[in-house]
Amino acid sequence: MASVSLRGIRKRFHDNVVIKDIDLEIEDGEFVVFVGPSGCGKSTLLRIIAGLEDVSEGTLEIGGVVSNEIEPARRGIAMVFQSYALYPHMSVFENMGFALKLAKVPKAEIRARVERAAGILQIGHLLERKPKALSGGQRQRVAIGRAIVRKPEVFLFDEPLSNLDAALRGQTRVELARLHRELGSTMIYVTHDQVEAMTLGQKIVVLNGGRIEQVGSPFELYERPANRFVAGFLGSPRMNFFEATLVSAQARSATVELAHGVRVQVAADAARARPGDKVVLGVRPEHLQIVHTGEGGGIGASVALVEYLGDVTLVYAHADGGGDMVALKCDADTAPPAPGSRVTLAFPATRAFLFDAGDRAFTPGWADSAAAQGLREPMT
Amino acid sequence: MKHRSQLGWSIVATASACVLAALWVFPLLWALSTALRPELETVSATFHWLPRSWTLDAFAKTLGAGNLPRWLFNSALVALLVTLVTMAISLMAAYAFSQLRFRGRSALFGIAMLAFLLPFEALLVPLFRTMNALGLINSYAGLVLPQVVSPVVIYVFKQFFDAVPADFREAALMDGAGPLRVLWSVYLPISGNIVWAMAIVTFIGAWNNFLWPFIIVTSNDMMTIPLGLTQTYDAFGVRYAQLMAAALLGALPVALAYVVFQRRVTQGFLATSGLKG
Amino acid sequence: MFKRAANTELARSAPPMAGRAEGLPAALLLAPFVLVFLLFFLGPAVQTLWLSLTESSLTRTSAFVGLANYATLVQDEAFWASLGHTFYFSLLTVIPLTVLGLVMALLVHRFVRASSWLQGAFFLPYVLPISVMTLIADWMLQPSSGVINHIVGGQRAWLADVDWAMPMVAIGTIWWTVGFNMLMLLAGLRNIPAELYEAAALDGARGFTLFRAITWPALRPVVGTALLLQLIASLKIFGQTYILTTGGPFNTTRVTLHYMYETAFTQSDAGYAAAIAMAFMAVVIALSLLQLWLGRSWRRMRAGREA
Repeated sequence: MASVSLRGIRKRFHDNVVIKDIDLEIEDGEFVVFVGPSGCGKSTLLRIIAGLEDVSEGTLEIGGVVSNEIEPARRGIAMVFQSYALYPHMSVFENMGFALKLAKVPKAEIRARVERAAGILQIGHLLERKPKALSGGQRQRVAIGRAIVRKPEVFLFDEPLSNLDAALRGQTRVELARLHRELGSTMIYVTHDQVEAMTLGQKIVVLNGGRIEQVGSPFELYERPANRFVAGFLGSPRMNFFEATLVSAQARSATVELAHGVRVQVAADAARARPGDKVVLGVRPEHLQIVHTGEGGGIGASVALVEYLGDVTLVYAHADGGGDMVALKCDADTAPPAPGSRVTLAFPATRAFLFDAGDRAFTPGWADSAAAQGLREPMT
Repeated sequence: MKHRSQLGWSIVATASACVLAALWVFPLLWALSTALRPELETVSATFHWLPRSWTLDAFAKTLGAGNLPRWLFNSALVALLVTLVTMAISLMAAYAFSQLRFRGRSALFGIAMLAFLLPFEALLVPLFRTMNALGLINSYAGLVLPQVVSPVVIYVFKQFFDAVPADFREAALMDGAGPLRVLWSVYLPISGNIVWAMAIVTFIGAWNNFLWPFIIVTSNDMMTIPLGLTQTYDAFGVRYAQLMAAALLGALPVALAYVVFQRRVTQGFLATSGLKG
Repeated sequence: MFKRAANTELARSAPPMAGRAEGLPAALLLAPFVLVFLLFFLGPAVQTLWLSLTESSLTRTSAFVGLANYATLVQDEAFWASLGHTFYFSLLTVIPLTVLGLVMALLVHRFVRASSWLQGAFFLPYVLPISVMTLIADWMLQPSSGVINHIVGGQRAWLADVDWAMPMVAIGTIWWTVGFNMLMLLAGLRNIPAELYEAAALDGARGFTLFRAITWPALRPVVGTALLLQLIASLKIFGQTYILTTGGPFNTTRVTLHYMYETAFTQSDAGYAAAIAMAFMAVVIALSLLQLWLGRSWRRMRAGREA
């Protein structure tokens, strides 16, 4: 059993509360990603699980055993460090076998395990080299191999891809997913990169300021963000937000008024709010469309910048109501508007989100209609 | 295109460099020249820069008579022991101060660093009495022991250990290593260079130490080179060729160490100075 | 500063390693050091204080006499004279050593290709034992066959001359130890980013202006440190005067430590010698503290400027 359970975890650095009451259950064999901006506590949480940091309050259970006081080496975990932390004076073989040597595992078995791990990671030909003779990608594999060799119940990864260049990163992501399928172990992965989170995670934990913002599958987090933070964190370019006032709320939709009196409809259940309340409208760049003026209520904007990316074109515009620049993701085949030109923007009501004054999301009303439209959660 | 003033500076600089360098190597060269001539020539009425007859006589006599070989042996033994013991003690202490947590750590470190303020010279009398009580007067142990207390070396090592990325320690932790094992398997192998630098500096310092051997040694046989060389005044009277030969032989080991390990020596001495600044 | 660290991912609170039992390995590792430190440093230090309050010979302690030794010390002309000689030596060496060290550092810095030779020439004396310096100095200063008199003329016995003995010791010391200063100042020079010089060169600065505008301000703190270190080191002089002049002629080169040595080992008056040691320590400690304080305030000032 390689489940991990965090209950009421709280961590203080002197007077600073860095982790504030975290409750989290991780199932055996899951690939969980901790993601969030710098300073949100994701690395600290990982290190707490690893035993490199003490817990100020709360209970940590690994494999059903309360592990707060257990030494790191005896928790049944292995960690891959961001900097790899390969011992510079030892060969790759010695690096990978170090933990086993300390545990007094017989030499023959050490060799067997190291060679098997090296085989999985295709570094068998590097076993005699020293870390400084390896490339970044090779070093990273050795770091992973060092973890595999220990046959841990839980793998911990601390931003393992951040020191690799972009091409290598994509490649390694795929390999990590393959590794998880092959080994079937529980994996906890920390990153600040939401692309890594979305592609690797079966379960994503979004952290902010030491608290969990939302836990769920990539689909859930992307399509049903619980609050404005999660909505704005996942997706690139970021979701567009508009300040608005609630006009009226019906069963499955609400009407809100934006700047310049523009009124739009959103498929959300805003029953718990009152007309006149301040709300925030959120629309993802890929759902904003440029329409011909006059086709009903739309948001006026003037185009500031157009970026051609090959597969899509990004259009940045200043909306009439002020606020941050609005981003649109357009099909690269259609001609984009010229910078400086005026456009009208619109979006389907079922693809918009509404957040209250406390940044909590109003339940999207599209859930049923999405199913009706044949949209389903992707298989993972 | 060099301006006139730049050219002027160039000349001044080059001239100064030459003059100063010449001045600085002159004494040793002159000592060599003296040592390579027959004894009578050194006090002859006419002065000669170079020997008129070249001979290794002085060196032979110095090595034969007197106790120079014995002093060389003593110096080597003492310097070696001091270096080894100081390195061992200091590495262990520095590691404990740097990486282990225990009550009173900062207080203890502060007290150890206090030794910077107190000059060794002021402790001569009580040290002598302690050695006397321990029966270590005129012994190798007596020579070596007070010299192994080196807060400077501990401080340098601690700074170094502090700068090692925490990742290595944590990785070793996760691999199941205890604190002693981490020191042995991770920190020591990484610190090769700095240990070398400190070892050489300590060796040179121990070799050149005059004051303490002067106090603790009472017989000619136990003298170290710096001490022994001063005895040559009486032993050889006014035999300057032999005196110079003795001086050069006494200087040879450390000079060689410097020439061979120039970079490490300077690195080591610099490390000990930087902390005071 | 710590709060900022705690908010980033980089805060490492350095938890204990092996569970909570870090006291034992720490004790094991520290035991040798603590032992020698107590026996051969702290113990003797306390003993010096104790001795200074007693009437003792070199081997036996007799009576407790309170501050009697200190009372004698204050009136002791020989002690104050020795202090004077020590400060005279400092005066003769501290500034020349620093100035010369700076000049040498500048030269080594400038002549890059010859730098290891130049550096070697200046630094080599520093690694030599003191007796090598004294032997060569004594030979060079011989009245009839010494090379100095051959160059300068005359038959003066420099080390026996009341006016010249100390200056000659000083010159020998300068030859012997300037390398260390040069090293420190050279490191300071090399720490100055090349870009500063390049920018100034583009602005048209040359030669002495460069020195005044860039080099000297950056070097000033290092020079200050070097001066103070030299001062403290010069107070501890013993070997050179003892060997070269035996404190003569007529005790004019007898420095404080020499006086202390004589009191303890020749007159076997350990109590009084300890009092001398305490007085000597007080001066050195005061100056060392000054140096530490200056170093810290300089670092703070620099940090403030860069902030």
